[in-house]
Amino acid sequence: MISLQNLAPLRWPSGPLEIARREKTEGFDPAIRQTLERWHEPEALEILKDTPIDCIVIGWAAGLPEDAAQQRSASRLLEAARRQNLAVVGWVEGSADPRAAIAAAKTAGLAAVAMANFKGSADLPVIAWSDRAGVPWDSEAAAVAITGNVWPGVSMANDGADATSGPTSVPWLDSNSWYIQMASARLKPPLWVMFDPPGKGAVVPGHSYVKAICDSAAGGGRWVISLDDHLRAGLAARNPAAEQSWKQIAAAARFFKEHAEWKSYRSLGLVGVISDYTGGNFELSGEILNLMSRRDLLFRAIWKSQVTAEALAGLKVLVYADAAPLAGESRRTIADFVEQGGLLVTGPEWPADGRPAPPDFPTELDVRALGNGRLALARKGITDPYQVAIDTQLLLSHRHDLVKIYNSGSSGCTRFTASMDGRTALLQCLSYADRGGLPTIWVRRRYRSTRLWTIEARAAALLPETSEEYAGVEYHLPANSPPYLALEFQT
Amino acid sequence: MNVNRREFMAGLGAAGLSLVQPPRMRASAPTAPVAIARCKTYGPEFLAAAGKMFDQLGGMGRLVKGKTVSIKINLTGGETTRLDHLPQGRTFWTHPRTVGAVIHLLDRAGARRIRVVEGAWAWPASLEEFMLKAGWDPDLVLGAAPRVELINTNMPYKGKTPYTRFQVPRGGHLFPAFDLSTAYAESDVLISMAKIKEHATAGVTLSIKNLFGISPTTIYGDKVPLDEPAPIPYAGRGEIGHAGSRQPPRSSPPEKDPTSPRDGGYRIPRFIADLAAAAPVSLAILEGIETIAGAELPDGENTRAVSPGVLVAGTNAVTTDAVGMAVMGFDPRADRGHAPFETCDNTLRLAEELGVGTRDLGQIEVVGTRIQDAVFNFREHDGPRQVRRRRRRNA
Repeated sequence: MISLQNLAPLRWPSGPLEIARREKTEGFDPAIRQTLERWHEPEALEILKDTPIDCIVIGWAAGLPEDAAQQRSASRLLEAARRQNLAVVGWVEGSADPRAAIAAAKTAGLAAVAMANFKGSADLPVIAWSDRAGVPWDSEAAAVAITGNVWPGVSMANDGADATSGPTSVPWLDSNSWYIQMASARLKPPLWVMFDPPGKGAVVPGHSYVKAICDSAAGGGRWVISLDDHLRAGLAARNPAAEQSWKQIAAAARFFKEHAEWKSYRSLGLVGVISDYTGGNFELSGEILNLMSRRDLLFRAIWKSQVTAEALAGLKVLVYADAAPLAGESRRTIADFVEQGGLLVTGPEWPADGRPAPPDFPTELDVRALGNGRLALARKGITDPYQVAIDTQLLLSHRHDLVKIYNSGSSGCTRFTASMDGRTALLQCLSYADRGGLPTIWVRRRYRSTRLWTIEARAAALLPETSEEYAGVEYHLPANSPPYLALEFQT
Repeated sequence: MNVNRREFMAGLGAAGLSLVQPPRMRASAPTAPVAIARCKTYGPEFLAAAGKMFDQLGGMGRLVKGKTVSIKINLTGGETTRLDHLPQGRTFWTHPRTVGAVIHLLDRAGARRIRVVEGAWAWPASLEEFMLKAGWDPDLVLGAAPRVELINTNMPYKGKTPYTRFQVPRGGHLFPAFDLSTAYAESDVLISMAKIKEHATAGVTLSIKNLFGISPTTIYGDKVPLDEPAPIPYAGRGEIGHAGSRQPPRSSPPEKDPTSPRDGGYRIPRFIADLAAAAPVSLAILEGIETIAGAELPDGENTRAVSPGVLVAGTNAVTTDAVGMAVMGFDPRADRGHAPFETCDNTLRLAEELGVGTRDLGQIEVVGTRIQDAVFNFREHDGPRQVRRRRRRNA
């Protein structure tokens, strides 16, 4: 069985099956057909030479009449892939017969198949794929691929003219990072993140692909890179602009492949968000994570089934917004957390013990002092994730900030993690704006040494620590710093 | 002219009464002395310079002893914006150490209660939290004296009367009255402590422009309800203050003439002149140790960090700002179309018309460093945008 742990996969739409599917979509034209045909030829794999891409994901079976033609016609492509030492994953969907698809894949020499709702065993690695609503959280598949994600970036109006804004009037960001962090906290197999570039024939610049790769990787996942029609056509035609974009994409993919260990780092966030992340609870708690991420409120997603004193170590705040009251050992563990000095933000089901301790800002929360800690109870229930994110951040207080980023372009979605042995800390920042900035990064703690990593300048550089009049340590990054950068700290 | 405190007190005539008599009580634009000092650092040098300036102005004791003093600082814009890598206090915000030093001097002069006030932009919580988010150490302020409070006056003031109505003497230019945080009504002494800066809309940011931030964004901010103040601030003051695209909630006085120009260069100078008349400043402190040139906020290559190394202080906002403008290399009597008011009206003229103070340098006694020895010409540090604008105008 191949290991899917650190593959760098690429969606490889090609052949009769993809053509049959695309023919039914708006905007399909002969040029797209030609590209799909050309990408089914072995020569198309040339673009993968000298890149970190070591896995392609091709359409394999969809329960359509073209399935057989697809599998038959792919033989030359598969042979070329073998010669290039590429793993090939067959994507199975629709009403395709899973057993038949697996058998055909095994015969054809595929490394694995990806299919939804597969149960039982197979003599070929199976990647379990699903949308966000149906993730097989306890799967022991070779990997779990999740669809239904967003294209990361500043959310634009429908006509593309302006950025849309969120409740804070600042541009809204689309990011999968919070979701990946949540999913990674539960899944054992590697997580593949599935999404495509914006549709309607949009031309997507190379740097947007880089951000898409970074957004997933910083969260701890791996985007199955998916190229738009223009770029695939351009690559097939050896268009220089397309090749330049491809180089950017490959560089980003290589960077994260070389830093695969970063995916195992744990969040240093001080806020734990506990939920079963299912149904309505996912809608609410997931959005809380999303909005906390947007506010750079560093969090740790904690699955309800994983609540232990050890899992809560290092946290200062817990948020529990699920509909069902906490019970049993989880409840006792959380009560102890509060007693020992923590803050619990939750709904009205939790008893209003302790004495009132109203904060110095307006809030619907009934804040109470209890033991050495505090309770913040939403008397009318928790319904507004935006308010939960704000109130939680204020109740925690910026006095406890671990990181501040100035001039970040578009702020939010910063990740601060540490290796399991605690010797290395990692701050990953991604500016979703297209313009470069002159960022200053402030961290509370003074580390023994610091290295700056960027995709463009692959050598790690030691940054001078700047003595400032305020507490903490500042790092002054160069002008026009790239959108993604990582500071690696040694303790 | 250099005078020590004793000479100054002995020479106090009618002008000296401005120390104890609110400007609104005077029929015509009054004058008051203004002190200038050179200062290059924020530590002990600032403390000594500020103390000397206060003495030159007649001493703080008679102004603040036994009084509730509010220091309106200037924390404009977002809390995570910087000019290059420089902390905000070194460019476009009041510096926390200067705030701490002034608090120390006020405490020493016998102030009963000292409040640091600011309408923190779109910020739904305490001023202390805002400072913490920005990277300030609030203890530099809170620890400078006993009984120091921080108040975000963009938030409804605690208690039964969150807002108090302030009438504008002589009817005002734009608004006849403002509803401001009751914290300002509880102040016996209002101090406006500003950075010396240019301003993209109003020409200059000095002690009067600094008052824009006392208008609560729960009433004068964007997206506020039509009938009553918002419970928390949502955004800046673009709609009502700058554009005039809507009126404040019906619970507050509307502007006098909704058909007047909807142009920021017309509106903002009138808005802040009205505020200066409605909430008179008892002490204006302009700090230009380090600051920003080109605009009031970082704007790429159009703004530069500069180090004028100068302080200006006075007991009348208009006279102090007039001297401040002169120190910046501008003529405080300049009309619209002339620097720094190329695209706006002169706030000082408008405040003068309301009887706040005179902008006529010939009528203002300057103590300490002479103007000509303190001048730092901001326009010599123009960015490309200002140069283009000036070329267009000259053409």
